[in-house]
Amino acid sequence: MTNVIETKNLLRKFGSDETEIIALNKVSVEIEKGEFTAIIGPSGSGKTTLLHLIGGLDEPDDGSVFLSGANIAEMSGNELSDFRRDHIGFIFQAYNLIPVLSAQENIEYIMLLQGVPAAERKSRVGDMLNLVGLEGLGDRRPAHLSGGQQQRVAVARAMASQPDIILADEPTANLDSKTGIALLDVMRELNEKQNMTFVFSTHDQKIMDRATRLIHLEDGAIEKDERK
Amino acid sequence: MLMFKLAWRNLFRNVRRTILTCLLISSSLVVLILVDGLVLGMVDVMVGGITKTLEGEAQVNHRDFRTNLEPEYFIEDPVGVINIIETDNEVAGYAPRVIIGGMVASSYNTTGGLIYGVDAERELEVSRIKDALIEGEYLSGGERELLMGKPMVDLLEIELGDRVVLTAAAVDTNEIAQELFRLTGVLEFGPEEIDKTYIFINLKKAQSLLGMQGHVHQIALQFNDPEISRKPDLPLFQTLTDDEVEALGWLDLQPSIGAMIEMSSFSTMIVGLVLFLLTSLGVINSMFMSIYERIYEFGVSKAIGTTPFQITQLVLIEALLLALLSCTFGLLMAYLIGDYFSENGIPMGKMEVSGIVVDGNMYTRLATYQFIHFPIYVTLLTLTAALYPALYASKIVPTQALQRAL
Ligand SMILES: Nc1ncnc2c1ncn2[C@@H]1O[C@H](COP(=O)(O)OP(=O)(O)OP(=O)(O)O)[C@@H](O)[C@H]1O
Ligand SMILES: [Mg+2]
Repeated sequence: MTNVIETKNLLRKFGSDETEIIALNKVSVEIEKGEFTAIIGPSGSGKTTLLHLIGGLDEPDDGSVFLSGANIAEMSGNELSDFRRDHIGFIFQAYNLIPVLSAQENIEYIMLLQGVPAAERKSRVGDMLNLVGLEGLGDRRPAHLSGGQQQRVAVARAMASQPDIILADEPTANLDSKTGIALLDVMRELNEKQNMTFVFSTHDQKIMDRATRLIHLEDGAIEKDERK
Repeated sequence: MLMFKLAWRNLFRNVRRTILTCLLISSSLVVLILVDGLVLGMVDVMVGGITKTLEGEAQVNHRDFRTNLEPEYFIEDPVGVINIIETDNEVAGYAPRVIIGGMVASSYNTTGGLIYGVDAERELEVSRIKDALIEGEYLSGGERELLMGKPMVDLLEIELGDRVVLTAAAVDTNEIAQELFRLTGVLEFGPEEIDKTYIFINLKKAQSLLGMQGHVHQIALQFNDPEISRKPDLPLFQTLTDDEVEALGWLDLQPSIGAMIEMSSFSTMIVGLVLFLLTSLGVINSMFMSIYERIYEFGVSKAIGTTPFQITQLVLIEALLLALLSCTFGLLMAYLIGDYFSENGIPMGKMEVSGIVVDGNMYTRLATYQFIHFPIYVTLLTLTAALYPALYASKIVPTQALQRAL
C-alpha cells in the first residue's frame, strides 16, 4: 500500500518561553491510500494542530510532512496554496461555504481555481450532488440549507476537486447526532466506492465507531494507533 | 469571471453599507464636477465680461499702442490686415477702431474720456455697445452721433440731443481738433470705469477729426469658438504679426485674467484633494468593515486553495465595482444638477468679480472632460484606497482565521 501521508517527528509549539505549549510532540504517522482514519483525543490534545500541519495550513517547528511524496514543509506560500488546491480537500466544523455562492457554485469553486473545463465541472457537480444526496438542491445558497446539508456540500466540494486526501476537523461537531452519523455514512460511502482517503477528528463515540483506524492523541503525542 | 461574480454578490451582502459608501463616493464626484462647473461658469462670466463687452477675444494693435495708447501708433495698412482676417473661417467678426484720449465738454461741465471711433455695423458682431444702450439710438453712421455712459451723462448734466464738444490732438498735425456732437444714446455696460470714461462716435468721423483717414488703432476679433482665442500660437496670429503690428488673444492681452483662471483651477484642485482625502478614508473604513466580517470566510477560502493574489484581486474588484456603481450614479446626478444650474443659475445676488459685475445668478458650465477625467480619478482613488484593505485580506492566516468565532 502507498502512503498518502507520512509525518516524521512533527513538533509544534505555541507561545513564548514561559507560556510555551507543546501542541504536538514528535508525532510520526503514516496514512495509507483508502484509509478512513479518525483522530481522537481530549480537547487540547492537538487534533486540529495535526490536521492543519498535514494539510499544509500550518508549519511545524520541526519534523516533516510528506503528502503524496512531496515535502510540504519546504513549500513557499503560493506553492502551498496551489498544492492545497490540487491535493487536499478540507472540511471544517462549520461555515465551510461561501455564502454568496449557491451549493453547486460552491462545489464548482475549487474546480474553477484549478481550471477544470466547464463541461467537466458541470458533470462532476451533478455527480457530487447525487453522491452526497443533495440532488435538486444545487441552486440553493448556504443560508437556505440545513447544517447537515451544508456539510454535505462541503464534502462534495472537497471530493469534486479530486484531492489525494480529505481532512475534516470535527465535521459533525455542529450537527445533531443523527445528522452527524448520516454525514459520516456519506463520507464512508465515498471512501469505499471512490477509494478516497479521509482523516477526520471527532469527540463523538458513535462517529469514531465508523472509522477503520483510530489514532488516539494525548498531550500532543500518539498514545494509541489501532486499525480495525 | 469567478472573482467578478463573487465581488458583485459580495457588494450586496450589506446593502446599506454599500449604498452609503456609494453615496459617499458619488457625492464627492458630484461636488467635484459642480465646483469645477461653477468655476468654469465664473471664468466664462469673467472672460466674457471682458471679451464680449468691448475688448474682443483677440486684437490686432500696433506693437507700441497697447502699452501707452499714443495715437501715433496706428496700424498703417488696416486693409491688408482685414483681408487676411476675412479669409479665416474661424473668425466670427472683426471691428476696426480708432482710440484716443480727449476732453468732452457740455454747457455745464467738462471731463476727460476715451474716445472710440467705431464701425457701427461691425461692432454688432464684436462688442455689446448696442446691447448696453439704455436710452436713445445706436450709431447709424451720422456725422454728429455720439454715445456715452450714464455716469458721464449725469456728470455733464446733459440729455439726449444735447450738444457736447470733443477735443483731442490731431495725429497728423498734432494740433488741437475740436468738433461738435449731439448725444444720441446713453449706455450702461456695468463696470464703472467703462461707463464713466468711454465715448463712442462713428469711425469715419473720428478718422477725419484726428486726421488719420484710412488708418485705425485697433482691430478687435471674435471667433466662432471662444477656445480658439486661448491658443497663443494660433496660425492667424502668426500671419498677422509683423514688425509693426501684433495679434494677440485675450490671455495675452489680459494676463491678470489668465492668472485668475489658474488660481481658480488651483482652488478646484484643493477642493478635489480634500474631497478625495475624505472619500478615501470612507472607502478604507468601509472596505475594512466588510473584510473584518469575512475573516473566517477568507480563512476557509485560502485553506482550500485561493491564493493571496486572488484574494487581493477579489477585494480590488469589489472596490472597482463599487467605484463604477458610484460613478454611474454620480455622473447622472452631476449631469442633472449641473444641467439645471447651467440653465437656471444659482442665485448669488449682485457681486463684482475683478471689476466685472456679475448680476444675479451663477451658471455652471459642464464640460466633457469633467465626465471623463473626474470619474477616472475617482475610480483610481477608490482602487488605491482599497489596496491596503485588499493586501490585509490577502495576508489573513487560515489557521488564525479558523480559530475565530465558531
Ligand atoms: N494559535 C495558537 N496559539 C496558542 N496556542 C494554541 C494555538 N493553537 C493551538 N494552541 C494550543 O495547542 C494545543 C492543542 O490545540 P488543538 O487546537 O490542536 O487541540 P484540539 O485537540 O483540536 O482541541 P479541541 O478538541 O478543543 O478542538 C492546545 O493547548 C491549544 O491551546
Ligand atoms: Mg480542534
